[in-house]
Amino acid sequence: MAHAIEFDQKKAWQGGESPFRMSYGKIFMWFFLVSDALTFSGLLCAYGFIRHKYSGVWPVAENVFTHFPFVKAHVPLAYVGLMTFILIMSSVTMVLAVEAGHRNYRKGVVIWLFLTIIGGLMFVGSQAWEWWHFIEGTSEGALRKVWDIDQGKYVEKTIYGANMLVNEYGVPQFANFFFFITGFHGFHVFSGVVINCVIFINVLIGTYERRGHYEMIEKVGLYWHFVDLVWVFVFTFFYLL
Amino acid sequence: MEFHDNYPVYETMYQHGEEDGKKVRKKLWRVFWILLGITLLELFVGFNATKWGLTGGMFLKVFFIFFTIAKAAGIVLVFMHLIDETKFFRYVILAPYSVFIIYLIFIILVEGTYTGYPENNTNLEFGYKQQQVDKRTEHGQPMPESLKHIKPSPGVKAHGGHAEEGGGEHHE
Repeated sequence: MAHAIEFDQKKAWQGGESPFRMSYGKIFMWFFLVSDALTFSGLLCAYGFIRHKYSGVWPVAENVFTHFPFVKAHVPLAYVGLMTFILIMSSVTMVLAVEAGHRNYRKGVVIWLFLTIIGGLMFVGSQAWEWWHFIEGTSEGALRKVWDIDQGKYVEKTIYGANMLVNEYGVPQFANFFFFITGFHGFHVFSGVVINCVIFINVLIGTYERRGHYEMIEKVGLYWHFVDLVWVFVFTFFYLL
Repeated sequence: MEFHDNYPVYETMYQHGEEDGKKVRKKLWRVFWILLGITLLELFVGFNATKWGLTGGMFLKVFFIFFTIAKAAGIVLVFMHLIDETKFFRYVILAPYSVFIIYLIFIILVEGTYTGYPENNTNLEFGYKQQQVDKRTEHGQPMPESLKHIKPSPGVKAHGGHAEEGGGEHHE
């Protein structure tokens, strides 16, 4: 339920109380998230520029990401949709953990936070599989000019998969941006999982019961939701547009 | 580490009992279903974009960006509880987002298409599949006189057509 917390503008910045009606830790988690959001938006803007510069030759994502683990079928974007679903689900379990913390209901926090950690690990694992499949490539491969060290010139070769120099899907920047942006995001997810584990252990040993409030869950929840938010944007710009 | 203002402890401000908890949880699950629905809709359109011939068009861009921002609003306002915060703080967070991120998206799409002479993309001679060949600028204008002097790279045909192989060595 929405608390519309209004305050007296004249007195709010006079000191003695927080003008945002928020504890110091939460305010600074929000500020960190704004700065991180600007980092990601810088990366996505760079991606947008390069993608549109090479729009004639940029591969269409539906034709590249058509795989699904254990299924030999052409299912464009299905795996990415699954990853999005996993991350949104873990966001929901996180906010339910926060809500249980608001009721000082320790058992609820334990359950939902544990599910969030599982969701995060599933996402990181899925991303790792996606990278592996991207690097391994399809059975068709593609003809590319590759620098041959022995001959000292470019030679035509059919290459499979992707590395930092050439990839079978399109221009090299496609693979480079894929690795960098999804990797940077995956790193955030992984660090979020680690932080969640630390807080989970703290919940188990009762640190927050002693403290009297579960605000740490809320702060960590903010970070986790930020990670989900970034994925929503990365998913749109990389796979859909 | 314990810093307390005159105001009662901020950390316990949002604590509520079981009654309110039920209402809050219903709202959270409702927003989740909305987000899921939007994602499925986006995936459905993305899945069929090639079949419906929408690839690269303005409709797709507007469609996806609109729904992405809708999802982002749902997550930030409800899951991150921003809507429960002071109005001033909402502006503190949302104003940079709106200015830098949404405007940046818009300006990238509008201004990011200046590529000059497409044939000069040296990557074309590396054998990539060309989805479109255009000897005009990205905006559909004929190539301006000041740029016509730019010669295409060796191995690339000047006006349309596909890149020829065997253009000799390419020195980086």
